[in-house]
Amino acid sequence: MFHFESLVATRRALLGWLVATAFGSAGAAPAAGEPLYFGVSGPLTGQNAQYGAQWKAGFDLALEDINANGGINGRPLAYLFEDSQSDPRQSVAIAQKFVADPRILIELGDFSSTASMAASPIYQRAGLVQLGFTNSHPDYTKGGDFVWSPSISQADSQPLLADLAVKSVGLKRIAVLHLNTDWGRTSKDVFVKAAQERGAQVVASEGYQADEKDFRSTLVRVRDAKPDGLVLISYYADGALIASQIRSTGIHLPVVAVGSVYSPKFIELGGAAVNGIATNTTFFPDEPRAEVQNFVKRFRAKYNREPDAFNAYAFDAVNIAAQAIRTANTTRDRRAVRDALYKIKDVPSVVFGKATFDPTTRRVNGVRSVDLIVKDGAWAVRDEKSAKAAAVAAK
Amino acid sequence: MNSFVDHTVNGLIVGNIYALLAVGLALIFGVSNLINFAHGSVYTVGAFIGWYAITRLQAPLWLTILLVIAGCALLGMAIERIGLRPLAGKARIAPLLATIGISFVLDQVVQLIVGPDPRALPGPLPNWRLQLGGGTIGALDLLIAGIGVVSAAVLYGFLRFTRLGWAVRATAQDRDAAQQMGVNIHAVNQSVFAIASALGGLSGLLVGMYYNNISPAMSFQATLKGVVAVVIGGVGNVPGAIAGSLLLGLTESYGVALFGTPYRNLFAFLLLIAILVWRPNGLFGGTKKLPPEPLTGTFIAPSRPIRLPTWAWAALVGVLIVLPLVVHAPYLLQTLTNAWLYALLALSLTLVAGTVGQISLGHAGLLAIGAYASALLALDGHLPVPLAIVLAGLVTAGLGTLLVYPAFRLRGHYVSIATLSIGEIVALAILNWESLTHGPIGIAGIPPVQFSNRLIDAGPGFYWLTLAAVVALALLQNRLLGTHLGRSFRAVRDDDVAARAHGLSPNRYKALAFGFGGFAVGIAGALTAHLYSYINHETFTSQISILALTIVILGGMGNVAGAVIGAVALIGLPELFRITAEYRMLIYGAALLLLVRFRPQGLLGTH
Repeated sequence: MFHFESLVATRRALLGWLVATAFGSAGAAPAAGEPLYFGVSGPLTGQNAQYGAQWKAGFDLALEDINANGGINGRPLAYLFEDSQSDPRQSVAIAQKFVADPRILIELGDFSSTASMAASPIYQRAGLVQLGFTNSHPDYTKGGDFVWSPSISQADSQPLLADLAVKSVGLKRIAVLHLNTDWGRTSKDVFVKAAQERGAQVVASEGYQADEKDFRSTLVRVRDAKPDGLVLISYYADGALIASQIRSTGIHLPVVAVGSVYSPKFIELGGAAVNGIATNTTFFPDEPRAEVQNFVKRFRAKYNREPDAFNAYAFDAVNIAAQAIRTANTTRDRRAVRDALYKIKDVPSVVFGKATFDPTTRRVNGVRSVDLIVKDGAWAVRDEKSAKAAAVAAK
Repeated sequence: MNSFVDHTVNGLIVGNIYALLAVGLALIFGVSNLINFAHGSVYTVGAFIGWYAITRLQAPLWLTILLVIAGCALLGMAIERIGLRPLAGKARIAPLLATIGISFVLDQVVQLIVGPDPRALPGPLPNWRLQLGGGTIGALDLLIAGIGVVSAAVLYGFLRFTRLGWAVRATAQDRDAAQQMGVNIHAVNQSVFAIASALGGLSGLLVGMYYNNISPAMSFQATLKGVVAVVIGGVGNVPGAIAGSLLLGLTESYGVALFGTPYRNLFAFLLLIAILVWRPNGLFGGTKKLPPEPLTGTFIAPSRPIRLPTWAWAALVGVLIVLPLVVHAPYLLQTLTNAWLYALLALSLTLVAGTVGQISLGHAGLLAIGAYASALLALDGHLPVPLAIVLAGLVTAGLGTLLVYPAFRLRGHYVSIATLSIGEIVALAILNWESLTHGPIGIAGIPPVQFSNRLIDAGPGFYWLTLAAVVALALLQNRLLGTHLGRSFRAVRDDDVAARAHGLSPNRYKALAFGFGGFAVGIAGALTAHLYSYINHETFTSQISILALTIVILGGMGNVAGAVIGAVALIGLPELFRITAEYRMLIYGAALLLLVRFRPQGLLGTH
């Protein structure tokens, strides 16, 4: 494992160097020497394996960039990915493994809050930073001062969704369908409050389980509550399933979905049924910002497909970790890496633009978002024209 | 009233889909007396063969259906040949474990080939819809219903009017007698697996097209729903399986209508328990008579247990005790600690399943009860953690026995299915009883174990604590098996009619076993909660129940030392295979298959 990783890192460094010399690209010399490591605990097999695969794509892209441009103070950055299946039993064993491995300077993951929060006490007591970059559970960073999260905070992002649903789309009687997980439930609670503050009424709220496939009965229940629009707090796969069943229950209403449905897969799985669904997302590839364009262009070139939000989260997390290790200027001292997280400011980020941790919550605030809509089978920026077209089509 | 029609239509649509799964399961169940845990995986394979044919080969629908049927029939024959035939005449529980291993392997192979992402499976059918009540139904709904009815009719004709069909029915009634009459049992089994798997694959294709969504992770849920539908309808009864599926679909739909979406599965499992208690043979199972003998007694093949001398055990425990002092290996210690926690779970299950013969697939539910009880007693009740853990053990013993009580009059696979549902009911109760359990948000900040002022966190302290619990409970259980009580337990397992004739009351002994076993699981759950510091309804999934049973079968049913060694093996192996990254679970499944093939009575033999 070690040899393999270092070989990859070396080869990557070499490649970076070749690219840098051949094209005379700007920046420092490529990194060389013994790599510095971060550990990743995440799902590569099991129910959530797709997210681990998306993480990897984001990590590798970020590392290519970092290592071609001087790495961490001249040394390349590499990672050790251990498959947890997002299962707490395995994530605690992995935590002990990473904690005992002196090469690991910071840990990224796990994916679910069950797996991450079970491992938090071990990371906290050993003094190794656990950077849970998809863990939005409100209690996650309460695990201690070594537990950090650059994930999007629901308290931050749900009011933006409420703005879109109530102010832009103009919903007055909202029916909410949410994933019945800690994430979905927290999001729903914040959203309902924000929507009420903006003068809307939530007439139905239905929590469904992640492995649910059939939503017809739920939708009939929703229809009977006589809403004037639906809000989905879903991931892309279940969001697409709901969308494709809405029409068959005789509902013709506008639909607004939370940003995590943003994925090319949402359209692939939902087909024509997702046309006209509005969302606001923190990541949109057509956004002209330099961080986004750099990420998207290189992602397309490397993988020959469209990036999605989880690719972007993983990419950002590596950049934050790299910046912290660089600032700590260490090859061994994990505490210095933690201390650096308090110091680093405005780390270039695809999701946040510039990411800075709040020292009390150990989370990143200031999420921005773009309003999007599905138009003719593609994601497009939502403007007055596309919104009107969607409203007509929904009738 | 309008929505009543809609809910009914929706229930029938969903039931229609379950029916396709249930028919195949019912066939195998009827002929081989086996819950085929690989059925959901065949369903997944069928969906992906269809996906390949439609999107890559641009095949028309009829050709796609033919390819799926042919591919899955071959797969079914391979499953019978590899997973079942070599185990004929061995412990009846071994094929069950083999199908679990096969499902691991198939799911992983699919995931490695196509990747873990969900994919769209666009159906080539015309997109017209028929208005029905407030909603609509489409061409695919009718096609699915048509295929369900046609396949049931063809099966009925096949079983009724063909020689091979007679042979299948004869084998289902009495395997040995059929063999003596010249029936080639292997050929019968193979054709049953081919037919059932072809149907399973076809349902994967149709359901995939229906939802336009397929993924390698969809197999477990499919098996679960299919099994529930089969049992409701009556095992081995094909028309019953279809009726059971429709009833299941309707129950779910009305449940959602009355109480809301989070209660959907709760009603499905409550219906199952009610039917098992009221009519153990299923709604359409004909008589009220319990299924004939083969599920008790011979279910667990007697074999000579391997015994290690006492000094060897003492030496082994001694080595384990000093281990943390000799080597500094937190990862090894944590893995062993996990193994000890699962050993506690397995001790309980090996008593209940191995010694008393009640194959429980609901132990994850008991684990969750223990974890929640201890976490809540410590957090909301402000009790000291060690006291909370012991109380959690007692709560689990009491509540667990009470919950499983309705299953006591059942036998064989019915117990497994009833306990599986009880496990699911516990998980759903945790999800929905928010005022007590905090619902989906879960319980965070559970304090670590603390004795007066000494903190026992993850590391050597916790390792010793769990090891001590395992050694103490294992010694106690071992002692128990040698007493009059232990003999009574085994008498209930081997022949409960004879046991009753000798004046033993089987239900009391079953309750005692669940009580003792529940205590061990409760302790395991409680310790887990204090180790993790955070639990929610997803911490203890039904996969854990299956893992626990795998451990017990692997170690040798009823064998105390076997349970501990099985836990070390099955918790350790996936860690050992880490180096193989994505191939890890594939190798694990293959290792499991090899173990079942060559040690069907378990590593240490049954007791």
